[in-house]
Amino acid sequence: MVGSSPMRQHVESGHKDDGDGDFKSELLALIPFLRAFARSLTGNQEGADDLAQETLVKAWQSRATFIPGTNLKAWLFTILRNQFYSDRRRAWRQAPWDQDAAERIPGGGEDQIFSAQLSDTARALRVLSDEQREALILVGAGGFSYEDAAAICKCAVGTVKSRVARARKALIEILDGDDTLEGVQRPAEGDAAREIMAQLDRLAPPGTGDTGGKRRPK
Amino acid sequence: MQWDNAVSNEEKPNEKARAIRARQRAIGRELRRMYDDVAQEPVPDDFLDLLRKIDDAEDARTGKKVS
Repeated sequence: MVGSSPMRQHVESGHKDDGDGDFKSELLALIPFLRAFARSLTGNQEGADDLAQETLVKAWQSRATFIPGTNLKAWLFTILRNQFYSDRRRAWRQAPWDQDAAERIPGGGEDQIFSAQLSDTARALRVLSDEQREALILVGAGGFSYEDAAAICKCAVGTVKSRVARARKALIEILDGDDTLEGVQRPAEGDAAREIMAQLDRLAPPGTGDTGGKRRPK
Repeated sequence: MQWDNAVSNEEKPNEKARAIRARQRAIGRELRRMYDDVAQEPVPDDFLDLLRKIDDAEDARTGKKVS
């Protein structure tokens, strides 16, 4: 390194220094929005902050692929969204026997407890499909254009528009219908399922339950 | 719920449409409020620590002086 081309290296590192400094301060300024988007995807604080931090690291590692002058916020949100789905896919692979539990990751059991403290709208949001929820949040709360939201969600602009419209309609139906919220409002079903699993775990003699230790919440 | 009553039976369709739009707006405000609430929280120290670590790692990698 030192011998070959000190001049060029000097110029490059000087340039990199300035660019990286700017990039990092822009990252810093966008952290609040990353946290907000992450929270809306995961539905819980701890999982959301883990996700937002993973996003920061990924963004920093990939900073060379960011095109200056383009929308950094949308670029970061794309990374965060990819990370969210890939984390969840990994959770599925690790726990294929209990998809419900995997769906609650990141967040685990806290999701249910947390949802009891949420507003009706926040709970209704959890009932929407992932696709509808993310589209509605990006456009309706995050202030993204349909075009940017489409880029973040990797789909057509028309698809985003129809997802947002369907999400809005569904939210009204959920909020004003009340029935659909029951499952989210009261964690009865999930608790019953966990209780059954816990009982099965207790019944199984030690060492024979192959689904036992890993999944069981402490 | 009061909205349900308002638009039930023989209300004019445009009144119903107006009520739905009002409801949409209220939900929209609530969504933005939820999002903004998080966005306005102070950034937890974990995040600042993380950025500092990135800095340190970068300094170590490039062998740059810490200014």
